[in-house]
Amino acid sequence: MSTCTHEWQMANVRFGLIAFEKCFHCGSVRTYFSSEDSLPLGDEYREGDHFWSRVETAQSFRFDLQCTRCGLIEGFGELMGLMHCTGCLEDCPVEQQRRVLERQRTWLVVAFGFLPQALTSPLPERKLAVLTEFFNQRRDTSRSTIKVVPFNLIPDLSRCAGEFLHDVGMLSQEPPAERKPLFS
Amino acid sequence: MTTQDLIDKLQLKPLSTFEQREVKGVFISDMVSDVMANARSGDLWLTVQTHKSIVPAANLVDVAAVVITGGKEVPEETVQLASKFGIPILWAPMSTFALAGKLYELGLRTP
Repeated sequence: MSTCTHEWQMANVRFGLIAFEKCFHCGSVRTYFSSEDSLPLGDEYREGDHFWSRVETAQSFRFDLQCTRCGLIEGFGELMGLMHCTGCLEDCPVEQQRRVLERQRTWLVVAFGFLPQALTSPLPERKLAVLTEFFNQRRDTSRSTIKVVPFNLIPDLSRCAGEFLHDVGMLSQEPPAERKPLFS
Repeated sequence: MTTQDLIDKLQLKPLSTFEQREVKGVFISDMVSDVMANARSGDLWLTVQTHKSIVPAANLVDVAAVVITGGKEVPEETVQLASKFGIPILWAPMSTFALAGKLYELGLRTP
C-alpha cells in the first residue's frame, strides 16, 4: 500500500474526436474515441441488429494522471468526458446533489464512461476520487472546490440536457448551432 | 496583478459579476478541451468563443478570468452562468493578438 500523498498532473494527453452514434432501430447510444482528423456526421451502417448513425462528433482529449512524487500512473482511458449539470430535471439525484453542494461552493461535474460499456462497468469510485483530487489540487480551494460524480446517478439519460465539456462544431466554418441534448 | 488592474489599464469591459482575482499568467485558446488540458489556475483565458460551455471549463480549471476578444457579442446566458460561478467575463474590442501584446507589455507571461 502506497503511503504517498499523491500530487497529480495530466500525462499521456491525446487529442481526438468523440463520436456519438445512435441506433435508429432500438434507440441505443454508443460512444467512442477516435484519433481520426474528422468523422463525418450521418454515416450509417448496420451491425447485427443495430442500424448505427453518427449523430454528433466533438473534439476532446484523453489523458492519464501521474503522481509527480511517486510516479504512479492512473489510467483514464475509459473516461469519455465530463459533463456540466444544467439542472434540467428537478427529480434527478445529480441535480439534487448539485443544489446542496453549490451552497458550500462546491461545483459538481459528472464523469461519463464510454457507452454502452460504462452502463455495466462504470468508472470506479476510487478513480472518481482521484479525478476530484486532481481538479482540486490545481485550483485555489479557499474559494471553491470541485466534486466529480458518476453519470449512473442520472436515472434516465434520455431526459438529460447536461452539456459535455467538449468542442462541438470546431471543424466547421459555420457558426455552431445551439447544442441539442445528446441522449434524448 | 489583479483582474481590476487589467480592467483599468486595458479598458476591458466586465460583463459578469465576480470577486477580484489575482492574474498569474495568460492562456490563449478557442478550444475548451485545450483549456482543460493545458490552462492553469489563475490564468487569464483569451478566446473568441462565446458559447456558455466556456464557463464550466473556465470554472473547472479555475482561470482568473475569461476575456472575449475581437469585440464579439457575448450571449446573455453565458454571462448569467459566469455570474453564478463567479467567473469574470471581460470583453475586449481588440483582437487576441493585440491584447496579448498589451498583456506582455504589462509583464504577464505564460509560465
